[in-house]
Amino acid sequence: MTNDAFFAIGAAIAIGFATLGPGIGQGLAAGRAFEAIARQPEATGDIRTLLILALAFMEALCIFGLLVAFMLFGKIS
Amino acid sequence: MSQTMMILASAHGGPLFSIMGLEVNSITTTTWGIMALLVLVCTLVTRDLKIIPQKRSQITVELAVDTLMTFLGSIMGSKEKAMKYFPLLGSLFFIILISNYSGLLPGFGHTPGLQAPTSALSFTAALAIVVFFSTHIQGVRAKGLRYFKHFIDPHPLMLPLNLMEELVKPLSLSLRLYGNIYGEETLVASIFAMAPLFIPLPFMFLGIFFGFIQALVFTLLTATYLASATAGH
Repeated sequence: MTNDAFFAIGAAIAIGFATLGPGIGQGLAAGRAFEAIARQPEATGDIRTLLILALAFMEALCIFGLLVAFMLFGKIS
Repeated sequence: MSQTMMILASAHGGPLFSIMGLEVNSITTTTWGIMALLVLVCTLVTRDLKIIPQKRSQITVELAVDTLMTFLGSIMGSKEKAMKYFPLLGSLFFIILISNYSGLLPGFGHTPGLQAPTSALSFTAALAIVVFFSTHIQGVRAKGLRYFKHFIDPHPLMLPLNLMEELVKPLSLSLRLYGNIYGEETLVASIFAMAPLFIPLPFMFLGIFFGFIQALVFTLLTATYLASATAGH
């Protein structure tokens, strides 16, 4: 295999695994937030804001993976 | 590594022309357009303000600004605090929102001189650096030298960790905005290359939603950083 093939596989693995963790985490957080809203509908506004904040922090991890994938992709000649 | 970062930070088409040695690329020209649009809207709307608004434009803009301010007030503790830092937060929100949406206009990203500014790392990094310095400056202004105490807050041994946390904040702020918008634009472009008719529409609709969410998240995080930096004990 050439170096380019390794870069391509590396980029695919980087973005694949980087989406896995945050995906599970965001699903758990969103599910719990919906449970909380169902239990206490009057706190919807606060819960939504906190949910967006938490999702943003998890999103950042996924974006780091995306960045690494872009960097590896740029190395393919 | 640094070469790849340079590619990520620059515009698609490369520099268009240069003014006194400074390169002007598609991001810069689009940013000028957005600045002109914002200034034009602000001057037109604020030209003859009334206490009881009569014009439809004043009502619309007042509603948007007041909704954002109330929302930020609920994050920062009080509406007065949100109002104090609203010049920074509001400008950030509206410039990021319009930048994100500018990428959805036809021709953006392909035509020289037109590219969504938030789809390049240099623009988002500039915004994050502004947030970084203003957070610390406002913290010192609000609390004086006591502000630096939070770096050694639980124990002086935590100093390296706290410093690292402060440095990671602008990094993740800029990368999150850039990665989302650039990723979304690349996605729409590659779907468009596969099937140009109707298929890209749901992804562009997703782009409208994410553009708003990302602008909100950037402003929200800036608000929480400012609130925690200026919070008195």
